[in-house]
Amino acid sequence: MKNRNLIVGLFVLAGLTLFTVGLFMIGNRHEAFSRHIEYYAEFTDLSGLTKGSKVQVAGMDAGQIIDIAIPPTPSSKFRVHIRINDTLHGLVRTDSVATIGTEGVVGNTFLLIHPGSPQASAASPGATLTSKEPTELADLLDQGKGVLTDVDVTVKNANGLLTSVGGNLNSTLTGVRSTVGNVNDVVVGIKEGRGPAGMLLRDPELTTQIRHVVSNTEQATANLNHASGQVDALVSNIQSRQLPQKIDDTLGSAKNAVSNLDATSLQLRQTIAEATAPDVQGVTAGANIRESLSNVNAATGNMADGSEALKHNFLLRGFFLHRGYYNLAHLSPDQYRKDRLFANPTNPREWLAGDQLFAVDANGIESLTVQGKKALDDAAMQFGDAILSTPLVIEGYSGSGDSAEQSARSESRALIVRAYLESRFHLNAGNLGAVSLRSSPPPNVDRSRWDGICIVVLKPARK
Amino acid sequence: MTSETSEIRPAVVFDNVSKAFGSKQILRDISFAVPAGRALCILGRSGTGKSVTLKLLMSLIKPDHGKIWVEGDEITRLNEAGLSKVRRKMGFLFQDAALFDSLTLYENLALPLHRLTTKSQDEIDATIDNVLSQVGLAGDKQKMPVSLSGGMRKRAGLARALVLEPRILLADEPSSGLDRITAAEIDELLIRQKTQHQTTVMVVTHDVHGARSVGDLFAVFDKGSLAAFGAAAEVEQSENETARRLISEY
Amino acid sequence: MIELIEFIGSVSRFGFRVIVDSLRRPFEGAQIMRQVAEVGYRSLPLVIASGFALGTVMTLHTRNTLVTFGASSMIPTVQALAFFLEIGPLVAGLLLAGRVGSGIGAVLANMRATEQIDGIESLSIDSFKFLVVPRVAACVVALPLLTLFMDFSGLLGGFLSEFFSSHIAFHLYISRAFSNMSWSNFIAPTLKTAVFGFIIGVVSSFFGYTTNEGAQGVGKAATRSVVFSSLLIILADVILIKLIFFAFPENAL
Ligand SMILES: Nc1ncnc2c1ncn2[C@@H]1O[C@H](COP(=O)(O)OP(=O)(O)OP(=O)(O)O)[C@@H](O)[C@H]1O
Ligand SMILES: [Mg+2]
Repeated sequence: MKNRNLIVGLFVLAGLTLFTVGLFMIGNRHEAFSRHIEYYAEFTDLSGLTKGSKVQVAGMDAGQIIDIAIPPTPSSKFRVHIRINDTLHGLVRTDSVATIGTEGVVGNTFLLIHPGSPQASAASPGATLTSKEPTELADLLDQGKGVLTDVDVTVKNANGLLTSVGGNLNSTLTGVRSTVGNVNDVVVGIKEGRGPAGMLLRDPELTTQIRHVVSNTEQATANLNHASGQVDALVSNIQSRQLPQKIDDTLGSAKNAVSNLDATSLQLRQTIAEATAPDVQGVTAGANIRESLSNVNAATGNMADGSEALKHNFLLRGFFLHRGYYNLAHLSPDQYRKDRLFANPTNPREWLAGDQLFAVDANGIESLTVQGKKALDDAAMQFGDAILSTPLVIEGYSGSGDSAEQSARSESRALIVRAYLESRFHLNAGNLGAVSLRSSPPPNVDRSRWDGICIVVLKPARK
Repeated sequence: MTSETSEIRPAVVFDNVSKAFGSKQILRDISFAVPAGRALCILGRSGTGKSVTLKLLMSLIKPDHGKIWVEGDEITRLNEAGLSKVRRKMGFLFQDAALFDSLTLYENLALPLHRLTTKSQDEIDATIDNVLSQVGLAGDKQKMPVSLSGGMRKRAGLARALVLEPRILLADEPSSGLDRITAAEIDELLIRQKTQHQTTVMVVTHDVHGARSVGDLFAVFDKGSLAAFGAAAEVEQSENETARRLISEY
Repeated sequence: MIELIEFIGSVSRFGFRVIVDSLRRPFEGAQIMRQVAEVGYRSLPLVIASGFALGTVMTLHTRNTLVTFGASSMIPTVQALAFFLEIGPLVAGLLLAGRVGSGIGAVLANMRATEQIDGIESLSIDSFKFLVVPRVAACVVALPLLTLFMDFSGLLGGFLSEFFSSHIAFHLYISRAFSNMSWSNFIAPTLKTAVFGFIIGVVSSFFGYTTNEGAQGVGKAATRSVVFSSLLIILADVILIKLIFFAFPENAL
């Protein structure tokens, strides 16, 4: 009997303890067991803020909204009754500002009280805090788009100038469209020595003509710089509005991209110096070109970095994916065959037969053999240091089976070799392309069928 | 109705009691009276309603017709509280003992003492020891009912029926399943109850020898009716053949 | 059909009698203690083990989904909300319907079959108050407590499983677990299991106490107790959830 009472007592006590623990766990968040302090804030637009919404002070969970008084007329505002933990009292000053924030893009709304300045006196309990109306994300994106359009126009101008250089360039530049996404292609092209701007560096005959447009280009550069200045202005504008932290972060990274400009342009300048220095025909022009082009590079590099950063930003990712942005890592066979740069017959090539490289295991999966790796090493060494600095494309071929099998096998071959070279020589993955071409090499090369792989170096012509 | 044995107040009276289960008529117009302090032995063939009669008296079953008096109370129309009072006067040994199988033998006896008396723990322990030694189970206090033999269970059931010192003791086959010596001891116990405590005893039994030593009165049930009622000599002279055969010792 | 309505009627009357008798003296304190020990304490291992296992399994499942959406920090929150709102109460209810419901059904049916209930009556003890009311009361008291054990062991299981995948700190896990919880979605679902307890107690006592089929009635009573109390628990849950939303509209998820 005694024993039973003990058991029941233990059971009930343990249960009640859990209950209390639960209550306190939740209570901690609601601050029900601590002292609190109350303030008010007024908003015309609540953006979904409700009774019970979280309140943060300087990013720390501090309490909740205990009531919202609905205004009788459109001219007055919603009066939000805030209750926060007393311990955060010291952060709330007479110049503290209350804003409405959002957890993530689609998350809950909460009220954010920004800590005031130490000079201001502490806000007295029951005070009405200054509030800033929320800016809708949509508005923000609209503004961003406006700036991007400005930039667009500038780039169009720059392209127009380049187009006027002559028919030779004209055909090359038809591929250049005036979207921000494509600005990026231009820049990647420059970096890898291909594409319209890349061609500039590679065609010595154009250098003299370029000299005539250098001053115009400089004008364009100024425009571009102006555009990036606008981006800067947008960023600081956005920051001055004390927007929710997440969006701040987003735009902060955009700003960061802009301020990284120096490093990028330095690197570009080096590349250009490398490309132009040995160019005997354009000694005088070379100096000009070097300078102006580094300006172009700086401006476009700025754009590229900016757009690159934006591209990786979750807010705008969809926008860029939508534009069909692509790079070396995702080459489509059609695009590859058509593009003059890739099909250039002077690109150095190294053909390697499939049976020389691969062994097939029991499941029909191919892998590189020891001899195969050796053969690839040898082939790569043929190109010398070039493979470390210039873009490579691995073409995969397969002659056996139907076209689907060919396609699958040639792709896997290209990828296997790409992966091997990348790790073997520590190559930059962005400089290394793979493309599956089934059994037929592109036009302009000296083979009509192949089974194996071909390493193509997209090397700028140097004399 | 009043009893013919007018010198003593009847403890139990059955007046035209009938009981049917479904379409099966078990008891038909049973009437008899047992004077206080006497022992009635109920005889009858298996399935003739002897146990049902005791349960009717305990009000565990309600009769279809007729009235039943227990020490002046008509129990068929009592409410729960009144019934509880009447039951408090009676001790009932079930045919299958009906011990509470989640309790030890001791707890089986202690339960009614704790709940229905104001005895102290020591008094309760003493009462239980006394009753158990009377039925010969003094050493088995802490056993669970499942670990008792059939005969031991019967005696334990009898002990539980006795522990509240009932004024009326109802025992459904107290000595069945017991050896001759133990059976004789139980019979002596019943006689002692009757003589020393003036307990009215009603025993259902198939043991004629025991019945004759315990009983003052005999009731013989046959096919649902009371075939004979009276002292042994009267029953022996009964017109009913079953009654004569059941009461004869040989 | 008429039988069904009759059945509902007699169970309801039975339940009503339980409520009325539980308010009448004498209060069977010792019996209630005994039953709380039987229903509550003895069910602890089952409840804790299943809560723990369920918590682990649930985290393993939700983890994959939430990681896909980049919401892995929501794992503790989802786990805690799921357990405190629904899984804890419902699973504890169903487990107890199985363990305790069948027990009550079988024990009472056996007592009926072996005349022990008559035996109690013959001792001037109200067998209904003595046997049924304490069992129902014990279920009503024990179920919310057992639900808490279920909830917290589920949380612990979730934490351990999450700890082995992401080495999350216990403190962080707990603070995230309770970050989206309010009192009403902790207290209301926990207390609603008292209703489940009442259902288990009344339904299984009904089948046990009213059977009259001897030894084979014992098995039947046990089975019916489990089937009907589980069914009623789920039905009652639907209604209770609606009621809770009605009472605390801000917690409707
Ligand atoms: N609760 C019940 N429901 C239906 N029938 C019953 C019930 N109790 C007893 N009976 C029937 O009543 C009849 C009499 O039963 P009872 O137990 O009184 O017999 P008995 O005279 O005591 O026999 P025995 O000497 O074998 O114990 C039996 O046919 C039995 O089937
Ligand atoms: Mg019998």
